[in-house]
Amino acid sequence: MHPLSWFAWLGTASLVTLLTRNPLYIVVLFVIFILVMDVECASQRASAGSSGYDGAPSDRGLTLSPLRFALFAVPAGAVFNLLTSHVGETVFFRLPPAIPLIGGVLTAEALVYGAISGLVLVTLFTAFAVLNLALPVRDLIAYIPRAFYPVAIVSAIAVTFVPSTLRQFRQVREAQAIRGYRMRGWRDWLPLFLPVLVGGLERALQLAEAMTARGFGGGARTHLAPVAQISLVAGLAGVLAAGVVQLTATWASAAPVFLTGGALLMGAAIWHAGRGVQHTRYRRPVWHSVDIFVVVACGIAIVPFLVWAESRAYSPYPALAWPLFDLRLGGGLLGLMVPAFARRLSEQSDDHI
Amino acid sequence: MITFDHVSFSYPEVALPALHEVTLTLVESAFTLISGPSGAGKTTLLRCLNGLVPHFSGGVLTGQIRVGDLDPVALGPEVMCRHVGFVFQDPETQFVMDYVEDELVFALENAAMPRAEMRSRVSEVIELLDLGSLRHRSLATLSGGEKQRIAIAAALAFRPRILVLDEPTSQLDPRSAREVLEALGRLNRDLGLTVILAEHRLERVLPFADRLVYLPAAEAPVVHGMPDEVLGQIDLVPPVTALGKALGWSPLPVTVAEGQRFCEAISGTDAMFAYARACAHHAGRKCDAKKALKPLPEQTRDESLWAREGRVIFEVDAMCAGAHQPSMKTQDPFCSGRCPTAPVFVLSVQQRGAITSGHCAILEVDSVRQAPQLGLPVLSAQADRPTLVAEGLSVAYHGKPVLTDVSLSLYPGQVIALLGRNGTGKSTLLKALVGLVPHQGGSVWLSGRETRDMAVADVCREVAYLPQDPNALLFAETVLDELHITLRNHGVGAAEVDPAPEALLENLGLAHKVTAYPRDLSVGERQRAALAAVLVTQPSTVLLDEPTRGLDYDAKDRLLALIHGWRAEGRAVLLVTHDVELVAEAADRVVILDEGGIAAEGSPVDILGEPVFGDSQAANPFMPQMARLFPGTGWLTVADVLAGLRS
Repeated sequence: MHPLSWFAWLGTASLVTLLTRNPLYIVVLFVIFILVMDVECASQRASAGSSGYDGAPSDRGLTLSPLRFALFAVPAGAVFNLLTSHVGETVFFRLPPAIPLIGGVLTAEALVYGAISGLVLVTLFTAFAVLNLALPVRDLIAYIPRAFYPVAIVSAIAVTFVPSTLRQFRQVREAQAIRGYRMRGWRDWLPLFLPVLVGGLERALQLAEAMTARGFGGGARTHLAPVAQISLVAGLAGVLAAGVVQLTATWASAAPVFLTGGALLMGAAIWHAGRGVQHTRYRRPVWHSVDIFVVVACGIAIVPFLVWAESRAYSPYPALAWPLFDLRLGGGLLGLMVPAFARRLSEQSDDHI
Repeated sequence: MITFDHVSFSYPEVALPALHEVTLTLVESAFTLISGPSGAGKTTLLRCLNGLVPHFSGGVLTGQIRVGDLDPVALGPEVMCRHVGFVFQDPETQFVMDYVEDELVFALENAAMPRAEMRSRVSEVIELLDLGSLRHRSLATLSGGEKQRIAIAAALAFRPRILVLDEPTSQLDPRSAREVLEALGRLNRDLGLTVILAEHRLERVLPFADRLVYLPAAEAPVVHGMPDEVLGQIDLVPPVTALGKALGWSPLPVTVAEGQRFCEAISGTDAMFAYARACAHHAGRKCDAKKALKPLPEQTRDESLWAREGRVIFEVDAMCAGAHQPSMKTQDPFCSGRCPTAPVFVLSVQQRGAITSGHCAILEVDSVRQAPQLGLPVLSAQADRPTLVAEGLSVAYHGKPVLTDVSLSLYPGQVIALLGRNGTGKSTLLKALVGLVPHQGGSVWLSGRETRDMAVADVCREVAYLPQDPNALLFAETVLDELHITLRNHGVGAAEVDPAPEALLENLGLAHKVTAYPRDLSVGERQRAALAAVLVTQPSTVLLDEPTRGLDYDAKDRLLALIHGWRAEGRAVLLVTHDVELVAEAADRVVILDEGGIAAEGSPVDILGEPVFGDSQAANPFMPQMARLFPGTGWLTVADVLAGLRS
C-alpha cells in the first residue's frame, strides 16, 4: 500500500475515534484495528519465519500490546474520572468536600465516562501501532518537509531506538535480578533507569560515530536566505497577531486573515529552506489500485460520522443511558478493514508467484 | 599506500596516549590484519584512516597520516567516507533504517546521489556480497552474519578504495564469521579493495590476510610485515603458529593448511606412539579412552608394550554413565540407582598416579561415580549429584519455539561447553536455567530442588550468570561497590563471604581497580568486574555467555585460568561460546545446540576432534586448529600435541 493511503487510513481512524464517545462505535473501531494489526503481525512473522533465521523474533512492531495497555488505561481512566469529576445522577457515595480534588459525589456516570475516555486512548494507540507496524521508517519520514531532513532522520533513529531501548531496559532488569535485586514496588524500578540512560547515551554515541563515518552531517551547511528569514519571522508574527486580535472585540474578525497569512509566509520560508537541503530519494512509492479502494473506504467510514452527527453522539451525563447504534455509521466503519484485505490479497498474489 | 609517520594521539582528558609514535606503511590492495592486546590502540588507528580521530573523538594528534594522496585529518570523515568505508564491531549500533535496502542507500540519499546512480550501486553491492535474498528483508529478522554483511555492503555503497573493519566477526559464530571473511576475501581478491581489519581471533582471519600489523600494548614499536614474519616476533599467536614455534618449523605456519605440510613428515611408528601418548594425555585431562583407543592398531594393545611405556588400561563394566544422561528421563533427575549402560574404558597414566589396578587418579565423572566399587580413590565426594539439571526444557517466544526438549546436567567440577550457530537458543537456555525466561515445558532443578517457584534472585545466589554484555551488570560508582550491591541485594554481609570482596577482586586480577569506575575499564577488566559481581556470593555453578567476546589472547588466558580454578574448587561451569580453541582448552564435555535442540553431546575429543560432524557427514565447523591439523588423533590443543610428540 502507498504510504499516503496509510496516512489517509490513520487520519480517518483517528478522526472517527475522536469524533465520538459512543462506546459501541469505539469498541467496533478497537476490534477493527486489532484485526488489521493481527494481519500485519502475521505477515511480518511470516516474513521473519521465511528468513531461515531462528533467533528471537523481531523487536520492531509491538513493544506494548494494545490489549495489555487497555487493561491498564481503561480502569485507570475510569477511576481517575470517578474521583475527579463529580457530576452525574447515579451517586455511589460522597467523599468529604474538604478533600481537595477528589472531594464530592462519586458517580456511575463519571466512572463510565472515564472508562470510555480510556478506551478512546487505547483505540488511538492501536491505530498508531498499526501504522508503525505497517510502514517502514523510510515512509514515516519521507513526507516530512525537506527543510526538516535532519529532524526526519532523528525521528527515524528515535523509531528504531525505541525497541533497542526497551531491549536494553530488559537486559538491565535481568542483570539486576541476576545480582539478587527484587522488584517489589515502583520504587524498585528507579535504579534501573540510570544504567538504561548510560547505555542509551553510549549507543547514541556509537550511532553518531557510525553516521559520521558514512558522511552524515557533511556537505555545505544550508543557511536561510535573508528573504526567507524575514518571511519566517513575519509568518510567526502573523500567527501571533491572529491570537492577539482574536481576544479583541473589534478586530476579531481579522484573525483568520492574520492566521492564513502567517501560515503561508512560514510555509514559504520552510519550502525555501528545503530547497537548500541536498538530499535525494531512492524509492518512489507506487500508487496501486488497492490504494484507491483504501481511500474510498476511508471516505465511507468518515462521511456518515460527519453527516449524521447526532447518531454518533453519546454522553453518560447527566444520567446513564444505553448508547444507540446506527447501522449506517457502524457499517461504514468496516471500511477501515480494507488494509487487512489488501495485505491478504497481496500475500496471496505473492504465493501464486 | 597508507602511511603513518610518527603519529601520536591522546584522547581528551586521558593522560596516556592511545597511539605513541606510530610509524607504519600499509600496502594498498592488500588484506591487512591489525592485531595486538586490548588497549594497544587498534581501534584508534583504524579511526585515524577516515578522520573519525580526531574529528569525532576530539583529542590531540601529532604526526602525519596519508591515505593515498589524501590527508584524513585535514579532510575529515565527511570527505573521507567516499574513500574509506568503515564497519564497526556491532552492526546493530550502526543501522539507522529498518530495512536492508533502505540501510544500503542511507548514505547515498544523504549525499544527494541521483536515483539511477543509487540503483546501480545498490545492485552492485548486492551482487558483490551475494545479498539478493536479503534485499527486501527487515534488518531485525537477519542473523548476526547477515547483519554484518549488510553493514559491509552499506560501507561499500560509496565505492571506497579502502574498507576498514573493527572486529567485525567478534560476535559471530564460526560459520557466519567465515561467510563474512570469505566475502571480504573476494572483495580484496576480485576488486583489489584494500581491506584493513582489526581482530583478536587471529586464527580466524589469518587464512585471508596477506599482511599483519601488531600493535604492542606498551610504547614499543609497531611490528608489521608478512604474517609469518610478524608472528615470529610476537607471543600472542594462533595455535598452529604456537605449535610451529615450539617444534621449530620454518617458515612458521600461519594457517592450518600451511601447518599440514609439516605434519605429513610425522608418520609411521612415531605417529602411532605419539598417538598413544596423546591418548594417555587426554585420559589425564578429559578422559574418553574408549574413543581414543579405538583407532589404535591391534598390535599396540600389547600389554607388555603398554607396561614398558608405563601405561595401564583399566576396563570397567556396567558404569553408571547413563545416570546423568538427559535421555534416561528418570523421574528423579539425580538417578540414585545403577543404570546399566555399555562398558566404559578408563585409561590411566603413570605420571598422574599409581599404576596398580587399585589406584587411579584420573577419572571423569562417570568413573568417579563408580570408583569406590573399583577400589579407586574418589576425587570429589560431591560429584555424584548434579548441581543444575534441565529436564526436557522447552521455551517459546510469542509461540515460536526456541528450545525444544533440552536436557542437560551440570556436575560439580565439570565444565560443559555449549556450542552452536547464532540464534539456536544457547543464550535462551542459560536464561531459562536461571529463570529469566519462563519455560513452557520441562523443569529445572537446582541442588535437588525444582526452581519453578524460586525467584531469579534466589536462583542466582547459587548460580552465577554472566550475560553476553557485561556492561548491563555494571552501574555502581566503583568496582568494589558492585560487589557490595550484590551482597546487599542478597542480604549477605561482606564479612560472611569467603573470600571477602577485596580478596575476590584480587583473585580476579582487579586489585588495582577497586576504586575505578566500572565502565572506564577495558573489555577484559569489565568482564572480570561483572564476574566478581555475580561470584561474590560464592555460587556453586557458573554460567558464562560468550565470555571471550572482545578479549585478547592475554585476557582469554586469564579467563581460562579462572575456569580451571573453578573446576578445581568443584564448581560446575556451563560455557556458551563460539571460541572452539577455548572449548578445547577448558571443556570436559561439549554440547551442540541446533534449532533449539541438542544435536550432539560428548567429550571434546568426540565433538571437536572429528572432521565429520555427527552422523550427517557434514564438515565439522567446531574443530580447533590442532584437530584440523591432526584429524582423528584426539589432539585438540597445542599442549596435547606437544605432550603426544615429546613425552
